[in-house]
Amino acid sequence: MMNELPNGGPAAGTERLRGEGLFPGVIDAVEPPHRPETGPRAASQPKVSGEEIALIERICAGERDLFMELVRPYQRLVYSMALSIIKSEPDAEDISQEALFKAFKNLRQFRGESKFSTWIIQITVNEARHRLRRASRVAEESIDRGIESDEGDYIPIDFADWREIPSETLQRKELRECLHRAIASLRPIYRDVLVLRDIQHLSIAETAELLKISEISVKQRLLRARLQVRDALAPGIHGSWNTGSTTYKRVKPF
Amino acid sequence: MLEGKTIVEISCFEVWRRISDFVDDDVEPELKQRLEFHFGRCKHCKALLDGTRNVVALIGDEHAFELPRETSERITSALQRRIAEDAQDERKE
Repeated sequence: MMNELPNGGPAAGTERLRGEGLFPGVIDAVEPPHRPETGPRAASQPKVSGEEIALIERICAGERDLFMELVRPYQRLVYSMALSIIKSEPDAEDISQEALFKAFKNLRQFRGESKFSTWIIQITVNEARHRLRRASRVAEESIDRGIESDEGDYIPIDFADWREIPSETLQRKELRECLHRAIASLRPIYRDVLVLRDIQHLSIAETAELLKISEISVKQRLLRARLQVRDALAPGIHGSWNTGSTTYKRVKPF
Repeated sequence: MLEGKTIVEISCFEVWRRISDFVDDDVEPELKQRLEFHFGRCKHCKALLDGTRNVVALIGDEHAFELPRETSERITSALQRRIAEDAQDERKE
């Protein structure tokens, strides 16, 4: 949808972003934080706003300083995506900076077929994965604290006394770090669904389209991801939210 | 509400398979009723439900993946610097 751009914008001949990594396709993403109120199917999301289109064209025409104005609303999105994949806050900061710079260098390649936020997410995820590969830091072994039934169902750990963790406790750096580690330790196929659904608040349909999997697969993977994070968190930070035994038994079927 | 009708028991295994959908309110009305009935009788599955809900609430909380102001400032400064350097490099070419 964008016309040929004059010289003088972001560097010509820059590497064209391919649909590698997690998000090969295009999708209309929901602006975070937001989740459709009813059911899994969200209405079709608006594409790039006219203001953004105008900004992008001006940046590509040479007004580089406007790039900060374009991406400022997406900084938290980029950072949260990076942090959900990589465990370290300093690394997430580096990845965010790198991803945003790559967005700048490749801005001419953005064709407005998806929302700008989706494009930014794609760059961020690919950068985070690249960083992991480069450092040979493969995802840790899945936090499968549960076991699998004969039919492949994930059987969660039983603890009868899960206290509700109020949002205020997220102020505690320790809990936040534990949450980050739990999510980053998930196998990618489960983590990706969890990140898109529960952090970025995409619908089931949008997640399925973005990941090129069925909606049933999204639900199945989401189930496992949520249960695994639950199992990872609840045994707890110094047991501070359970008063029961530290030995957890498997849930006994009814 | 299926008044006057028998609610068919549901196994814990089946509950676990659908618990994520239940949290998202994405189950058929009849199944929802069976699940709610089960949660009222099975403390293990009720604990699992509470835990799963809390996980979703925690993960979705904006504080879970907060961008500290200082971090934002550093990212902004570094990005501005790199863009400026990129401009200089282009002029040299």
